[in-house]
Amino acid sequence: MKNIDLITEEQPTRLRSFGRRRRLTVSELLVMAILIVLALAVVLPLLLPWFFVFKTRLEFAYDPWSIPRRISWTNFKEAWTAIQIGQGLINTFKVCVGAVLCTVPSSAMAGYIFARYRSRWTEVIFYIVLMGYFVPVHMVLIPLYQLNSKYGLVDSIAGVFLPMTAFGIPFWTIIYRSFFRSLPGDLADAARIDGAGHFDVFIRVMLPLAKPATVLATLLVFIDSWSDYLLSLIMINDQKLFTMQLRIAQFMNAYGTDHMPRYAAAAVIAAAPTLILYILGHRWILQGTLAGALKG
Amino acid sequence: MTGVDVASIRGGRRKKFDYRKLVFQLIFLLPAVAFLVIFMFYPIEETFRMSLMQTAALREPTFIGLENYQRLFASAEFRKGLANVLAWAFWSVVIQLPLAFFIAFSLVAHSNKLAGKLRVVYYLASIMPSAIVAMLGRFIFAPRFGVIATISQKLGWEWLGNVDFLGDPNKVFWSLFAVATWAYMGFKIVYLMANMEQIPTEIREAAELDGANRMQYALYVVLPMVSYPMRILAIISTVGSLKLFDVPYLLTQGGPVYASTTLAIILYKHGFVNWRYGRAAAVGVIIFLLSLFFSIAQFSMQRKGGEFE
Repeated sequence: MKNIDLITEEQPTRLRSFGRRRRLTVSELLVMAILIVLALAVVLPLLLPWFFVFKTRLEFAYDPWSIPRRISWTNFKEAWTAIQIGQGLINTFKVCVGAVLCTVPSSAMAGYIFARYRSRWTEVIFYIVLMGYFVPVHMVLIPLYQLNSKYGLVDSIAGVFLPMTAFGIPFWTIIYRSFFRSLPGDLADAARIDGAGHFDVFIRVMLPLAKPATVLATLLVFIDSWSDYLLSLIMINDQKLFTMQLRIAQFMNAYGTDHMPRYAAAAVIAAAPTLILYILGHRWILQGTLAGALKG
Repeated sequence: MTGVDVASIRGGRRKKFDYRKLVFQLIFLLPAVAFLVIFMFYPIEETFRMSLMQTAALREPTFIGLENYQRLFASAEFRKGLANVLAWAFWSVVIQLPLAFFIAFSLVAHSNKLAGKLRVVYYLASIMPSAIVAMLGRFIFAPRFGVIATISQKLGWEWLGNVDFLGDPNKVFWSLFAVATWAYMGFKIVYLMANMEQIPTEIREAAELDGANRMQYALYVVLPMVSYPMRILAIISTVGSLKLFDVPYLLTQGGPVYASTTLAIILYKHGFVNWRYGRAAAVGVIIFLLSLFFSIAQFSMQRKGGEFE
């Protein structure tokens, strides 16, 4: 059950290049070439919208894949008003903030108890929470919708992020649990002996130490809820509350290929926030905390 | 480690019962447990109950036993959806996992600067919202203006240019699978890499001393050591296939007719298009039981092994 967390950023990379002293062989070069081709296969599709976004509808109809002749931001401006991107972004942002604020503290607190107050009954509750990790949200969509409509949560932002939180909590509780378990216990014990209460120890000693887990959870919960489609599709009918993903999907089905340049511009805007978060936070996301914790 | 009873150290005598500690634990567990009970466990119970009911507009639900399930298995659409997700699960384990292993191993073995950058690139597609993934899929596969159609037109390859990737019932599965592979590989690669980096240097050196070449090292040393994470990935892909919705729904709505339908699309259509809650709940129960079955099966196949430390 020992888990391996890569807490430090500069983790000692083991398994360094196999046979480092040798010169690169032909097969190694071949492997490297394959890796680069595969990486291009990941990146190139992401660049496709940029062929369209600067074109007028006429230019697009004439030759969709030509290199744009000039840079014009008209499509972005038109998409902004036609698809109500401003409103969509704000709605999605609210969903994300709600999901982060509900998921991260609940999981941190529960994970802390499961890690440092282990007893028979907390273990039982932990296994119940763990089972939640394997429950797909799809299974319970109908009762969730009925529950939400009973309490006036259909067509509300909370109606999207509250169920989302419930289905995110098991995973992040597992992560926090193994993170807190990997921290040395001496500090907390010392603080307890000095007379600090249970709550003080958590807030002042343990939570600051768990910052890497908190950064990771915040980033990934935000990115995941930004991408959500299914829950918003079911819970939101009111156009004013449409999230960005609903707007994009609606536009795709309503206009087909005719308005492609404008649609591509909207998609570029919709993808931008997660892309920026990823570029800023990729070191935390790729650090391996996830991999370590899932082993536990 | 956690069992240090501070009270006994401080006062020199054991307290009978530490109420403060208990209250603290209860308060800290409350939010998580409340969320799970309200939005997960209660709806699970409701799903099971509703799957045994006949529901129609403006009428009280009536108990009909297993009729919803019988109707489902009798319908060709449901059987196609079930076959699709099972095939999807099979191919994602057979195609995506070995590919992820190859990429992860190669990146970890060539640990130069480029490999570090490539890892960031491979994960990039995984953070894209599914609405965007679907859109990119359409750009590539659309007839006439799509990337494949345009390129094959320029090259004069009519056999390729005229293929309707999303409209041909025999091809739509693989077109969607290609899109999903593109979108979901990143996580698998990064996860395997993180696990491979834990393998101690001494093991690699020992393999080198024994004269193992890179291929032998990958297959006989590294693969057994990451077999546990590989199994986790197999479960994640299988369960992920069972609840597949976004990409097929956005690109084809499960069509043409129901060639690319999935269990989740059928659930959505029964529940939120035709408003037959009972039938939809029965699909939900089937998704749940299948995920449970595959999780337990894959875990119990080989409980231990592959773990070092």
